[in-house]
Amino acid sequence: MLILRKVLVSFFSFLFILVGCQDNVSEDDVKETNDHTVDEHVLTDAMGNEVTIPANPDRVIASYLEDYLLALGITPVAQWAIHDGASIQDYLQEDLKDVPTIPYDLPFEVVTSFSPDLLIMSSADMVEGEKYEQYSKIAPTYVLDLENNSDWREKLLKIGEVFDKQDEAEKVLVTYDEKAKESKQLLKDSMGNQSVAAIWLVNNTFFIVSDKVSSGVVLYDDLGLEKPNVVEEISTTATDNWSEISLEKLAELDADHLFLVNSDKGNGAKMLEDPIWKDIPAVKKGQIYEYEADSAWLYSGPIANTQIIDDVMTSLIK
Amino acid sequence: MKRYMTSTQRKTQLRNWTVMISLFLFIILVVVISMNTGFIKLSPLELFYTLFGFGTSEQALILFEFRLPRIVLSILVGMGLAVSGAILQGVTRNALADPGILGINAGAGLMVMLYISYFPSTTNTPIFILPVLAFIGATAAASCIYILSYKRDEGISPVRLLLTGVAIAAGISSAMIILTLRLSPESYQFVATWLAGSIWGSNWKFVLALLPWIIILIIFAYVKANVLNILNLGDVTAVGLGASIEKERRLLLLAAVGLAGASVSVSGGIGFVGLIGPHLARQLVGARHQILIPTSALVGGLLVLVADTIGRWILQPSEIPAGIIVAIIGAPYFLYLLTRLED
Repeated sequence: MLILRKVLVSFFSFLFILVGCQDNVSEDDVKETNDHTVDEHVLTDAMGNEVTIPANPDRVIASYLEDYLLALGITPVAQWAIHDGASIQDYLQEDLKDVPTIPYDLPFEVVTSFSPDLLIMSSADMVEGEKYEQYSKIAPTYVLDLENNSDWREKLLKIGEVFDKQDEAEKVLVTYDEKAKESKQLLKDSMGNQSVAAIWLVNNTFFIVSDKVSSGVVLYDDLGLEKPNVVEEISTTATDNWSEISLEKLAELDADHLFLVNSDKGNGAKMLEDPIWKDIPAVKKGQIYEYEADSAWLYSGPIANTQIIDDVMTSLIK
Repeated sequence: MKRYMTSTQRKTQLRNWTVMISLFLFIILVVVISMNTGFIKLSPLELFYTLFGFGTSEQALILFEFRLPRIVLSILVGMGLAVSGAILQGVTRNALADPGILGINAGAGLMVMLYISYFPSTTNTPIFILPVLAFIGATAAASCIYILSYKRDEGISPVRLLLTGVAIAAGISSAMIILTLRLSPESYQFVATWLAGSIWGSNWKFVLALLPWIIILIIFAYVKANVLNILNLGDVTAVGLGASIEKERRLLLLAAVGLAGASVSVSGGIGFVGLIGPHLARQLVGARHQILIPTSALVGGLLVLVADTIGRWILQPSEIPAGIIVAIIGAPYFLYLLTRLED
């Protein structure tokens, strides 16, 4: 029984790692007051801790928030990784290639070894079990926990506030929105009302993006592309960013263009040989655009979203 | 005849003291090794300096805030589980009784998990609530087992107690798995490592929350050692010797439940310690509970401390939960015991 439980636990931990690759939505309250001074400033974080942010933090660890930091021109001292650095946020590596990795669960001693001067936690779960107290002994620790954790704009503004870079954060948003608007117009002119969808193939299972998060927001909201019915249908009930979709359901997918994030590329991707797959309209028409797992499509954030727009433009505008 | 007895007794006493002192020294040794184990290297000299307050603030932080509370907790948890196992084995007269196998750990775990999943981590609740909750859960599970295995004419038969325990544990574990499905990935991860038995509350607050339970209940068990000796003789003999069996048994069971529940609330599902601890102790010092209980405590503390140290060291900087290491050692030992019992 116990052994069985251990087996189950390790099995589910493995599942978690898969799930953990997505952004997630948590429903915690956010209390926020702020109080600005020129140099160091005190902020109240999502857990109600008064955090004294140093004047110019230059040794920051903000695991899984690197995208936002880089967008604000801050390079962290360590970057998120799982499996001892085997899995990292590849799409950011142009900027992060010299930054050492840190395990995603932020072990105290590893954090200490970087002598950080500011820690930003991507959710309250990171400091569960009184861990906050210990982290805050290493460096001031700010816990970010938004009502809607997939709202990258809100997240960017919050992080801007932490670094006293609200203006830069606004600027990043304006630049992004301009880019999105321009692209939207171009797409509209060249494609009319053709619909698109993004799917992700991993471990022989297809997942489809919800219209509320990650690349879904970019496609349907920011770029105003047409949403196929299947996406609409799945998004209303979706609890995850990417929802599992059977091949049969996928056959009903009436999208004109498909973006495929192929995480199975290394191991054959048998599913792509399946006759049902080959019968999907977009596949038949050859209007399928494949991206590897190291692309930005599975992430969200100012840089990820900008890269997704670039990918969409190169794929759809010939 | 009398002289002969006394000389054996003296010999036994000498042996017992040797065993206890060696176990104690072993624990000290592993504590020192464990203080040296971690991502940041501290040389023995640095360790020594830091211990006496001459280290850098970083070294002091690592030693006093990260490593030491965890070491102390490992020992306390091991003691709690092993003594709980010793009591259970005594009460049920069953060598395979263990708070993990009996479903007491699972009951405590279920409560802790319910708490974690319904109270978001953003609310700052006192940590002292955890052992209490775990105790409630453990008691609920234990009461179920007790009621289900109680028969009016026969009282509690050890075999029925064990079988019911296994069944209840299976039920609770599946309930927990169902519960995990509705957790957010981060909470899930927390629960998963918790279930695997990781000393997660590596914080002095947890030490403080656990300490009173461990001290009071182990002392209680020690005081009741003679009752355990008598219960061990079988119900009929015990009644003959004037023990009010059911009442004593209930009290002792409650103490075992409290020990296991409190330990599990900070350590998660560490199994087998309650089984191996008392067993090894029995082989070292014999079955008299006056000596068996303290020895079990030492063996258990040593076991979990060693497991946690190995777990922290083997895959640095990642950690393997102590529960998994104990299970790797414990499962074969359990099978070995099973085959021996057949004879």
